[in-house]
Parts: sequence; C-alpha cells; structure tokens
Amino acid sequence: MTSQRMIEFVHVRREYRRADGAHVTAVDDVSLIVPEGEFVCLIGPSGCGKSTLLQLLAGLDAPTSGSIVLKAKEIEGPGPERGMVFQRDSVFPWMRVIDNVEYGLKCRGVRAPERRRIARDYLARVGLTHVEGAWPRELSGGMLKRVAIAAVFANGGEVLLLDEPFGALDYVTRRQLHDVLLALWDTPGATRRTVLFVTHDVDEALTLADRIVVMHSGRIADDIPIAAMRPRNDDTLATPEIIAIKHKLLAHLGLQTKGAHA
Amino acid sequence: MTLRGLGFDPLRPLGALLFLGLWQAASASMAPIMLPSPWSVVKRASADFWSAPSLAYYGVEDPSLFGNLVYTSENVAIAVLVGASLGALVGLAASRVWLVRALVNPIMLTAGTAPIIIAAPFLLIWFGVGRASAVSLVAFYVATILYLFAERAARNLDPIYEHSALTLGAGPRRLIRDILIPATVPELLGGFRIALAGAWGLEAVSELLGAQSGIGKVLEVLAGATDAQGILASLILLGVVALAADACAAALIARFAAWSAAGAQRL
Repeated sequence: MTSQRMIEFVHVRREYRRADGAHVTAVDDVSLIVPEGEFVCLIGPSGCGKSTLLQLLAGLDAPTSGSIVLKAKEIEGPGPERGMVFQRDSVFPWMRVIDNVEYGLKCRGVRAPERRRIARDYLARVGLTHVEGAWPRELSGGMLKRVAIAAVFANGGEVLLLDEPFGALDYVTRRQLHDVLLALWDTPGATRRTVLFVTHDVDEALTLADRIVVMHSGRIADDIPIAAMRPRNDDTLATPEIIAIKHKLLAHLGLQTKGAHA
Repeated sequence: MTLRGLGFDPLRPLGALLFLGLWQAASASMAPIMLPSPWSVVKRASADFWSAPSLAYYGVEDPSLFGNLVYTSENVAIAVLVGASLGALVGLAASRVWLVRALVNPIMLTAGTAPIIIAAPFLLIWFGVGRASAVSLVAFYVATILYLFAERAARNLDPIYEHSALTLGAGPRRLIRDILIPATVPELLGGFRIALAGAWGLEAVSELLGAQSGIGKVLEVLAGATDAQGILASLILLGVVALAADACAAALIARFAAWSAAGAQRL
C-alpha cells in the first residue's frame, strides 16, 4: 500500500467478565492496518468480536491490552474525527432533523449560518431536504439512517465507523442506502474517508468493500481484497473471482455453499 | 405514561352536566344545611369572593375567598417551583453519580412511600403556623415525586444517545445540556403535572392543620360552623384554580415535549 496508514490496531485484546461470572475474550490479539481512504468491511458470525472492535476504535470502550493508533496517535476516548453510525436508531428524538445533522458541527463551535449550510448540503445529498424541519418520530427507519449518515458525514470525521447500520432495514431500503453511502464516500474531488463497516451480510460486504476482514472468535480469520471495479452492480459482482470470494466468505460464516464453485 | 384528557373531549362538559344534575337532584331531597343546591353554592362563592365578613368573625386574617385563594396559590407556586427544581436536579444527578444516589435514594424512597402529611406536626414545631411550614411540606412532596421521575427517566435513557453525542464531539457539559435534560423533559413534565395536582390538596390540608390564612384555614373555620354551603363554595373555587394550573402544565408539556409521543397527543 502506498497510501498513508490511517488506523492501526496493535495486538488489541478485550476481555471482560460476563454477569454470570464467565470470562470472555471478545477481541483476541488483533493487529490490523487500514490505509487512508479504504473501505473495509468487517464480517463474521455473531459474537465474533467485530462490533467490539468498532466500539474500541470509537473510544466508547478501552482495550484490555494493546493499542489503537489513529494517524500515529494512540486513541483515548471518543472524538469527532471518528464518526459512528449505530445499528439501532441514535438520532436524537428531541432535535429536529436539521438540528441533528448540525449537532456535531455545533459541538465543534462552527457558526450557525455555516453549519446550517453544511447540514442542508448533506441532507440534500441523502435526499431528505423535504423533512429538515420534521421530528425524527415522523420519519421511517430508512430515513432515520439517512439522517444518521448525513450527521456523521457533515461532521467531517476522517474515519467513519458503521456498526451493522442497515441490519434492521428491508432489502430495498438497504440497497438504496448502499448507493447513498457510496455516493457520499466516493464524492468526486473530495478525499475519501476511511470506513470500517461491520456487517454479517456477505452481499453487502461485496457491494461496498475494498477489503473484507473476516473475524472469528475474536481473531482475524481472513483478509480479502475486493478488486471488483466501481460502481458495482449485480453484473460486476457476478464474475468468477467474486463468486469464489463469496463462497469463501459463506464458508467462514459456517454456511453450506450451494453454487457450482462450492 | 398516558396523558389522557389533554385534548378537548366532547364528553367532558357532558360529564360536568351529569354531575351537576345529580347534585341538584340530591340537594332537592336533603336539607340545605347538609347539601345545598349548586346554584346557592355559586351565589355564595360570588358573594364571598371579594368580601366575606363572617370569615373575619371567625378569625381568618383576610376576610375574602379571593385573598385566601391567592395565599394558597402563592404557597403552591413557591413550593412547586422550589420542590420541582430541586427534585429534578438531584434526581438527574443521582442517575449519573453513584455517591449522590447512595446518599439520597434511601430518604427519597422512604418519603415516596410514607404519607408525607405525617411530617406536618413536625414542621409546625420547626416553622410555626406561617407560610414556611405549609410551603416546606408541599415542596418536599413535590421534590420527592420529581426526584423519582427524574432519576427513573435518566436511568432508562438509552445509552446510545450519549454514545452518539460523544462520537459527534460532545463534552460532559453538552451531554447534560443537550442529551440528559431534553431527553428527560417529557417525563419530568409528566411528574410535574402529577405533583402539581397533589400539591393543592396537600397545601389545603397543611393549612387545615394550623394556619392563619388560606383556603385550608377557611375550610377549617367553616367546618367548625357546619357551613356546608361555604365549604362547597371554597372547594369549587379551589378546584377551578387547580384546573387552570393543570391546563397551564398541559400546555407546557405540549410546548416542550412536542417531539415525544406524550407531547404529540396534544397536537
């Protein structure tokens, strides 16, 4: 890789004690380097530690040992340079849509007219201009995700962490949001943000990622670059190479593959 | 929590009319000294509103229903404002600071279950028969309710909002101002409304037990004189004031909780 390293996990471990007293190692000696601008999908079965890894990078949790380095600086706690979209709805119900999108900018002291301009721009890009004055409870689940995505992009963080953001959405909405996300990530003329996207959906990972990191029992089980050209569609994802990768991923998830390449 | 009856309900005037009809029918079959008719009570309330010389005769400081209503309302207003602010602040603090919770919870949980009126004789010893005794009793009652509502609301707040704010760049001060307080406002206002409704009764009872003014004092002397008409007139006026205060609280909820389901019912 020629590009600058953005994130580095160095022998990261996260252990904790469950309520029943059992000792659990959620993340077990993970080392991983993510270059700037790369779109990485973390995939693996439930409980493999992929969400924990994201929480650690967000600074909402701290590793038991090891370190996480962002642009040569070890992270200690959350920060706006690492925006996060959560699996559940995290849009503040007591703020109108536009105020939600502006919130990060407000925290950083951006003046009102400037942050309104930025927020409106991102709301337009996710197709929500018409609901900027609405309350979140008036929006559908898919629209709430668009608000959350607009809020983290508007906040300008270099790193975006998405923790199964579309897991609860229907198939059509999910595919629409893939397009929204990729359009924001791959804006012509702008620097690509570095993305870590947790999912357990193989097709989602293949659609989005430059690289798929497979986790199993807290460890990295595989690390697969996805060379398919962008923008990707059902045809570009139907090449023999991609199908072979898909079978490999399904096998990692413990699923029997049923295709000709199995 | 449901806040039924916030909006206009056409059955409400019908219910009031039914009540008046039943009252009228019952009063026709009873002696006026036991149950006076609704109309005579209304006439009495308007006659005694600005000036009621009989009250002066019984030793009430301000011989008018208006003056005593003002006294009672002032006490309730002071007690509710002080009690609600204190209770809500300490409750929110207790939800996030272990030490505050450990210190305050035992007191508040006891106060929340024991009838607070038992503290009245004690407060009379401390503060005498003036305003302070009744106000502190009602303020303590209101604070207890708001504490319980605030602590529960903040504890039940989904941590995802605080996490999200942190990753957007919020610091501790913003977490309190932008997340903790606005998120709990609908529950706080719901508790405020319940506390306000109870405050009127408690204020009147504490005045009954020993005061020189207030609707409670008026009720006490009229009860001594077996003046059912005067008692009903005073109660109805107190009820009207309490209803008006409740309507203000409901408007407050509609204004500041518009984002939540509780506030939306009013829209």
